[in-house]
Amino acid sequence: MKPIDPRVHQALDREIAREGLPPELALQVARLEAAAAVLGTAVSQWAGGSVEARVMAAIRRPAPSRMWRLARWLAAPHSVTLRIRPAWSLALAAAVALVTLLPAGDETPSVGEQEGIAQFVARFPGANSVHVAGSFNDWRSGTIPLRDADHDGVWRAAVVLPAGAYEYMFVVDGERWVPDHLADRTVEDDFGRENSVVIVRPAAR
Amino acid sequence: MEVRGDPSDADVVARVLSGDHEAFGLLIRRYEAGLLRFATRMLGDRDVAADAVAESFIRAYRHLASCREPARLRTWLYRIVANRCKSYLARRRMADVPLDDAPPVADPTDNEAALERAEQLALVERALARLASEKREAFLLKHVEGLSYQEMAAVTGERIPTLKMRVHRAREALLQALEEQA
Repeated sequence: MKPIDPRVHQALDREIAREGLPPELALQVARLEAAAAVLGTAVSQWAGGSVEARVMAAIRRPAPSRMWRLARWLAAPHSVTLRIRPAWSLALAAAVALVTLLPAGDETPSVGEQEGIAQFVARFPGANSVHVAGSFNDWRSGTIPLRDADHDGVWRAAVVLPAGAYEYMFVVDGERWVPDHLADRTVEDDFGRENSVVIVRPAAR
Repeated sequence: MEVRGDPSDADVVARVLSGDHEAFGLLIRRYEAGLLRFATRMLGDRDVAADAVAESFIRAYRHLASCREPARLRTWLYRIVANRCKSYLARRRMADVPLDDAPPVADPTDNEAALERAEQLALVERALARLASEKREAFLLKHVEGLSYQEMAAVTGERIPTLKMRVHRAREALLQALEEQA
């Protein structure tokens, strides 16, 4: 790498006036400043929605209840050190095995290029509207409605998505975020809240 | 950036911590543009950068109580985004290779001047992408985001003499890359 004349650095750091620089050094200063100016132009918003909308949607989603956290804690595997009589250890081992094996979910799906159909079904009697929001639509709550054509309280939607795993929640009446307890599996988000997961497999398989 | 009459960062942080979660939107609006620009130039991909910035804001929200100096929130946010960018770059193993050789897609409704600006940006971005990520970060923080060396030290965790040397090396590498493209 070719070193720059120290006067170029000094001019860029405003330690000396650039007017006194030889033309070739002044050109180097101008070229770097022009590059910085070009890089300083604003970046247009992301096509999938503003960062603010995404972050605020994540913040507004309700925190899990204490009962739910307790249930999650009990169901999750934890390392525990106990001094215990051998006679009890067998029973404890069986109990620990039961607790740790219970939350084992589905295998991670293979991700392909093809699309599949995600079926969303939820029972919300008395709801005026139900939408699904998730990682497939940037958690925008009003874009994918579920329908209850026969008014029996069961809301449905079929959505074509590229094959893969997606986190989602239902949004009831535009404000109540509810996980789908019938989901393929659930995961915890950055806020410790439960997201449902739908696995979309290629329709061609 | 704070505007006269607007609540200070420290005031907004206090509001959020006292339960006014919606106030966090003020901080996002205040710093989103700069952080998005910095992440885009670091990563060479606007969509990945938007993910990094959104994740960084969520992380900042979660750990807002641990922001020891709310008055210096800006540098704290840059630090989170810079670290996020480093994680992305490490995962993608692309720190020292060109980020994006493709010029930006031009909107057919763009006029000639806009197209020329897009071409200039693509040219400079290609040159910038040839810099090692540390130099790229140093140049962007100093010359594009306008941070002082003291603020850069808070963002990167490096000493000021190290950062000065890094900025010098970044200028040399960028100038060379630009001249080779010319």
